Amino acid sequence: MEVMSHSSAFLLPTIPADHRPPQTYALVVLNQSLPRFTPLLWNHAQLHLCADGGANRVYDEMPLLFPHEDPSHVRTRYKPDVIKGDMDSIRTEVLDFYANLGTQILDESQDQDTTDLHKCVAYIRDFTPNLDKSNLCILVAGALGGRFDHTLGNLNVLFVFSSLRIILITDESLVHLLPRTHRHEIHIQSSVEGPHCGLIPFPLSKSTTTTGLQWDLTNTEMRFGGLISTSNVVKGEKITVESDADLIWTISVK
Amino acid sequence: MPLLFPHEDPSHVRTRYKPDVIKGDMDSIRTEVLDFYANLGTQILDESQDQDTTDLHKCVAYIRDFTPNLDKSNLCILVAGALGGRFDHTLGNLNVLFVFSSLRIILITDESLVHLLPRTHRHEIHIQSSVEGPHCGLIPFPLSKSTTTTGLQWDLTNTEMRFGGLISTSNVVKGEKITVESDADLIWTISVK
Repeated sequence: MEVMSHSSAFLLPTIPADHRPPQTYALVVLNQSLPRFTPLLWNHAQLHLCADGGANRVYDEMPLLFPHEDPSHVRTRYKPDVIKGDMDSIRTEVLDFYANLGTQILDESQDQDTTDLHKCVAYIRDFTPNLDKSNLCILVAGALGGRFDHTLGNLNVLFVFSSLRIILITDESLVHLLPRTHRHEIHIQSSVEGPHCGLIPFPLSKSTTTTGLQWDLTNTEMRFGGLISTSNVVKGEKITVESDADLIWTISVK
Repeated sequence: MPLLFPHEDPSHVRTRYKPDVIKGDMDSIRTEVLDFYANLGTQILDESQDQDTTDLHKCVAYIRDFTPNLDKSNLCILVAGALGGRFDHTLGNLNVLFVFSSLRIILITDESLVHLLPRTHRHEIHIQSSVEGPHCGLIPFPLSKSTTTTGLQWDLTNTEMRFGGLISTSNVVKGEKITVESDADLIWTISVK
């Protein structure tokens, strides 16, 4: 089984030059309060999308992360490339501000079948010819912690697009999928993440084996309604996971 | 609690809102808080030896098994603080709804209510529109071959739902009563006003 490597190097101020595989990052901002390290994610990303009300968040909250700077300088520096969604949350003055700066506005108000995050991920996958997608990693801010139907809808996007690397990021947690098709090596950046972690099947894994955790699994069965691995602890610099099922991996952010 | 009653003496508020039981592995509670409530007569149940279950799991099991003075014939367990923090905690707490699927357990935040609709029953959800709605969702873990609803803007009619495909989120309650019938356990969530 092929190995899939994971690393949260995007949380480091500078991504090490020898970081493998080299990643192209795209950032999607949803309509929740911005994580405190959003400027860092923004700087690493080559493409910046706001999903509808996410544009309000960037407009209102980026200047707050740079309190000694002129807000309009901050807003101009952190200008989304694209604003996409059904446009029922974005304020008119925010839309006009970014449209005047050249942000591409993609109104999807006719499509009520998919969430804003779904629309943004599909856009990144299908409509961005200038982006090197061979090692694409989509970072998502604001996917968790608000209305719970949104939380589960956004988690579902990880399963719908299971062949893409998508990482949900909050001030407290990173969340992404470990597809059953690969053996996984997760390289822990201990200055910025851990030690609390979890591995959760949706809903069942007959056999999962890990190394590097305080409570490792050895051909262990996990199921929703029974044992799932939460409040686990990373012990080493490298975690390995092999499973017969797609698993959600989550780790705390320092 | 004192912050929610800014014009009252904090110690009066704390005495009025005294827990009956404090239970868990005790690795987070501050010493002065533990002493304060122990002195008021709160029962302290230290479970620090049990690392296999979450704090919520321990509390629900305690309510189910060790409370002879509680009328449990129509018990409903309300849970504050189960969502919105560390995501492994969120999923661990969601899992408790499935582990104890025969109990009524409702997870509550400022924004949402969440509870299980077991497959064993046809469900009638009476909407208190002054305090909840209109945004709602119905989510299987991970698959329902057939779910039928009434009272939603986008009703389901023998519709298949699955994680990785269609699940019902950002739906809207249209009436005062929602009905749900499904071949699978579903998570129901509704926004709080």
